[in-house]
Formats: sequence, structure tokens, C-alpha cells
Amino acid sequence: MIKVGIIGCGKVADKHASQILRIRGCEIVGACDQEILMADQLAERFGIRHRFSSVQDLLATCHPDVVHITTPPQSHYTLARQCLEAGCHIYVEKPFTLTSKEAEELIDLASTRGQKLIVGHETQFMPVARDMRRLIHDGYLGGPPVHMESIYCYEFTNERYARALLGDKTHWVRRLPGGLLQNIISHGIGKIVEYLQDDKLSVLAHGFTSRVLEGMGETGIIDELRVIILDGHRTTAYFTFSSQLSPALHQFRVFGPKNSLLADHERQMLVRIPKKSYRSYLNQFIPPFTEAGQHAASGCRNIGRFLRRQFHAESGLHFLIGEFYKSFTENAPLPIPYRDILMTSRIMDEVFNQLRSSSPSVQQVTPIHNL
Amino acid sequence: MHDPAKVGLDGSEFTITPADTILVTGANGFVGSRVVRTLLSYGFERVRCLMRTANISEFREKGLKWENVEIVEGNLLSRDTCKAVTDGASVIYHLAAGVETSYAGCVLNSAVATRNLLDAAASEPKMKRFVSISSIAVYSNEKIPRGGLFDEACEVDARLVDRNEPYTYGKAKQDEIVLDYGKRANLPYVIVRPSVVFGPGKSKITDRIGTATFGVFLHLGGSNRIPLTYVDNCAEAIVLAGLRRGIDGQVFNVFDDDLPKSREFLKLYKRNVRRFLSVPVPYTVWYCFCFLWEWYSRWSEGQLPPVLNRRVCSVYWKGNTYSNEKAKELLGWNPRVSMDEALKKYFAYVRETADHR
Repeated sequence: MIKVGIIGCGKVADKHASQILRIRGCEIVGACDQEILMADQLAERFGIRHRFSSVQDLLATCHPDVVHITTPPQSHYTLARQCLEAGCHIYVEKPFTLTSKEAEELIDLASTRGQKLIVGHETQFMPVARDMRRLIHDGYLGGPPVHMESIYCYEFTNERYARALLGDKTHWVRRLPGGLLQNIISHGIGKIVEYLQDDKLSVLAHGFTSRVLEGMGETGIIDELRVIILDGHRTTAYFTFSSQLSPALHQFRVFGPKNSLLADHERQMLVRIPKKSYRSYLNQFIPPFTEAGQHAASGCRNIGRFLRRQFHAESGLHFLIGEFYKSFTENAPLPIPYRDILMTSRIMDEVFNQLRSSSPSVQQVTPIHNL
Repeated sequence: MHDPAKVGLDGSEFTITPADTILVTGANGFVGSRVVRTLLSYGFERVRCLMRTANISEFREKGLKWENVEIVEGNLLSRDTCKAVTDGASVIYHLAAGVETSYAGCVLNSAVATRNLLDAAASEPKMKRFVSISSIAVYSNEKIPRGGLFDEACEVDARLVDRNEPYTYGKAKQDEIVLDYGKRANLPYVIVRPSVVFGPGKSKITDRIGTATFGVFLHLGGSNRIPLTYVDNCAEAIVLAGLRRGIDGQVFNVFDDDLPKSREFLKLYKRNVRRFLSVPVPYTVWYCFCFLWEWYSRWSEGQLPPVLNRRVCSVYWKGNTYSNEKAKELLGWNPRVSMDEALKKYFAYVRETADHR
């Protein structure tokens, strides 16, 4: 029986608890939150025996094998360290840490002690992402990716969240060194990192506050970000974060030397874009039908998964937790290698550095006046 | 302006004088703003309003005479804020609540916020009464037959987790904390549980009548009486719960008189606001559907969340009769706005909002 502890009993903890309980051979032995009423509510709803307001008490009383850290990111490093030192494997919600230096230290500590850790990039394990991974590993692209595009949107139209964040000048998201971006972009960057060929990276970032947010009197939050990434093998990637694109897209495209792939995370749809040409006008007649067939097949696949109970909104989280647990119970490989965690952290560090230094490499083009 | 004497109150029946400080949390909300207005109309001179974001123009738009109002921006999750806003307060009307869709958000903004406020209130020497606003949704009608009487004597639902309603769960936790402080810290309190509050400012038809979730409006209320209270009537009941002497530790449900049947409401709505297709669904059919949904949710390990389940079905659509006798007797409350007038005002507002859109 794997004994699981949860630190931080907010909204995200609900998702973790519900997915942990779906994995056989697990028991959530303790819930911990600085605010005991929060620990109480999680414990009551998920049948957790012990609840604590002190991490030390959780570790000393329950001796969990693995701890899920679902607190705001500012506390990730300290809590993760404390849990590793107590001998626990750790699942840390995104963003892993505030800086790549902290990420390195945690990975070093876990490696030295023979413990495992993982970051909560669960969108990389949704059914569509797994299908895409399988195809790429099977060589569908015809070689290493040439270019990638990751689009990750965020809706400020969610009035409640927007009100909570925009209306509260002391909200913890605002206090992150990278602000709103730091809390969200690791999902989109992580997808790119998985397919980069090496860690010699160049990053160019440009971020700004959208007109809509500015119109609401908000200038302290950067909600539009464009990033270009280049690795030592000349693999390139664009990352787009936007609160203004509509509909809010969550897409990942990988372009290979032969074929390309598009994963639509919102619709859980994978589109193969093969290099196949037909004669003359057939080139415009046939591909739309073959692509329509792919869309129809995606729809059928999704319905099939739903009927087989494999289409939970949190199926990515369920899969990631399961694979992570196997890494220390069956010595299976980690679903997210440490290299990916570190590279994601480093790219994010660089993005925030550039945004802080007001992007000196972005030059204004002379405006056209007399047309 | 309401003259308190006209509602059978004189100074001696109030727990406080007009010069005492009153705190209203959630003061810019749908009901909160009406509570402030009623307090001002009663002649209270020191009303302190706590709101998360002090949108003063919005407050002015609500027609509040605001020279007697002290507006404080803050969050009840901050103990410093709680300490500051309760300083010198004699009565607290606690209307701020978690209305999020997550359990964590509701517990945080209802239960934790209330605990912080109660901690501060318990150490305030001038404190005369803490009025906590709950909801009739916290009751269970499991043991009441269809059409049976639903009043303050009903049991609070002991299996709220099974209902999958974060808001109600948060409110029930809030109630537990208030009762605990009443017992432990001897804090004088009153709990008010309004029914469905309606009026200008809120246009949605209550789920107790029906839902359009599945694309077409399913009329689920049938011939049930709908537990409604017009926002101004509700505000006055809340205000009186903070003022009347000798009611510490009491719980009051707030329903208006002459509650309409669901199908009457719907008919009037269609006549006065807009026509639309509605499909009547008998209670037993809906109950079976809720049962199937609940079963599927369990079988699929939550692939569909159990938002529809038998307990929810029973609470919202079983149909009961409602009594406001206790509120009338002990608070001296009488709904000033008749149901006819209230419905007219509500329909006019919804029509206007729809036209505006």
C-alpha cells in the first residue's frame, strides 16, 4: 500500500485526491494545510483519516511514502526539501520552483537520496498528447522535429478568477517573480522542451499587457507573451501565451522533415499532416476529405474513450500520478525526466529576465507615415 | 425612509442605538447593498461596509446615502482586516460568502473568513450581536413528505458531501463555526437562512423552477410552491435579526407570503418577459434521471461529476410548504413588498436587462 500525503488543501488538491483514489493500492493518509479548516474539509470529503496544520506533524505521524505538494509556488522549494529530507518521494504542482537554481537543488537532493520527484505537467499526458508522443516515437515525423508551436491561452473572461486576481492586489499570483506567467506557462513550455534535441538554448521573449487589461486599469500583469526558442540542433519553437485569443486555444504543433502533427488539447484531437501530393486539382480535392476523416475518427475515439470510462477531465493527472508511482514501486522510468524539468525552469528564468530588462533586443521598426 | 416605529419597533426594542457602529460584510452584494440601505433608512448613522474591492461608484449607483457609510476595502481572510473592521462594532451583519464552484473556494471564503471574523468579533467589547447569513439549502427534507412543512425545526443535512454542492457545504461549515463560537466564546449570534432571493439585480430563474442546462428549458418545479423572498423583504428581515432584543441563538428562515407555484411563476414569466419553450418533467421521472446520473458518476469514477443526485433532487424539486411564522413572530418582520408587486418589479428588471442586451 502506497501511503500518500497532501500538503495544501486548495482547489488543486481536490483534483489530486480524486485521482489518487482511482489508483489501486494507494491510501491518502494525511491532509495538511496551514489553515486547519481547509485540511478538515479535504479530509472529510475524501475520507482521509488524519489532518494537520503542520508539515512536520504530517511527516512524523503518517510517514507517507509520497507527498503531493499543491500549495502556491512560493512554498514549493521549502516544502519539497522538507519532504525529501523526511524520505518521501514528491509530486510538486507546477510551476516546479520559482527559479531553476531551486529546481537543480531539489533534483540533486532527490538523486543523492535515491528518491523520486515529478512536476505536475499533466496536460502532457492527456490522451491526445500520449497519441502524439507514440506517433513521434514511431518516427512519423521522419526525423527529429524541425519546428514546434505551442499555443497556450488563458481566459480572463472567467469572471470569478479574474475578479479574484485583478481585484486583489496582494493575490499570491501577483507576488510570483514572473507574475501570472509564472503560474501558467510551464504547461506550454514543457511540451516544447520534451522534443528539443539538446540543452544549448537561445531564448527571445517579448511580453506586454493587453489593451483589454490595460483598459481595466491593470498594468502590473503581463498577459501576452511570445517566445522564440532555438536549440543547438537548430530546432526552433514558438511559444504563444495569450489571454486575448478567442477561442482560447491549447494547441501544440510539431513540424518534422517529412510529416507534421497538430494536437488540439481543447478538443482532444490529433491531426496528422502527411507529405502526400496528388496530381493537379486532386491536391485540393482529396486532402480536405482525408482530414475530415481524421476529425471524424478523433470524435469516435473520444466517444469510445468516454464509454470505456477513460475520458476523465483529469485523465492526464491520473496517468501522470500512476506512472510516477510506478517509478518508485517498479523502478520504471520517470514520466517527466529531470532534464525536462530543468530545461523548462531555465527557459522560464530567461523569459522573466528578459521581461524584467524590458526586452532590449526588440527593436522598433521605423513607422510608415506618408503612404 | 422607513420609520422603525411603523414596523412596531421603538428604541427600546433595539439592541443598539443609531449612534452605534454596525459592520456589514459583502456590502456591495445583491442582498448586502439592500441591507445597508435598510439600515440607513432606519436612521443608523454609522454603517461600516466591508467589500473586497471598494467600487464606490457602483455603490453610489445602488442609491445609497453614503455620507453615513464608511467604506472599507479588505478581505476577511486577513486577520488584520477583521480586527480593523470589527473595532467598535456593536452589530455585525455577515453577508460575505464564497460563491465559487470549488469546495476549497467556498470553504475558504465562507468558513475560514467567518472564523476570522468571529475571532475578531469575540474580542470586541461592544459586540452585541453577530448575524450570520446562511441558506435554507443547508436543510435536508429527506424525512419530510412531499408537500410537508419545511421550517426551522428541519434537520440540517448531515450528508452534505453527497449533494456535491460546494456553496451549501461552505454555508453549513460556516453555520457550524458560528454555533461553536456561540457556545465556546459566548458570542451572541443569530443565523438567518434566506430562501431564494430574487429581485432587480439578479435575472436568472431559480433552478427550483427549472433548468436550461440541456438546451431546452426543463420545467422541474411542477406545482411546487417556490420558496422565494424579495430582496428588499429579505434585507429587512436580516436587519431586524441584528436589532431585536431577546433572540440570541435563534435561527430564522426567510420566506415571503403568498409563494407562487412553480408553474404560475413560469406562466407569469413568459407573459411578462419572453416566451420560450419549456418541457414539464414530472418529479418521479427527474428523480430517476438523477438516480441514473448518480449511478453513472460512481460507475465511471467521476467522469461526470455527481452534480445531479437523489439528495439534490429531493431538496430542490420534491416540493414542500413553507412557514415564515417564526420570523414574523420574533423579528416583528412582515414582507413589505407583496409577492405581486415583487414579481412585477423582478419581471420589469429582467425585461429591461434583456432589452439592454
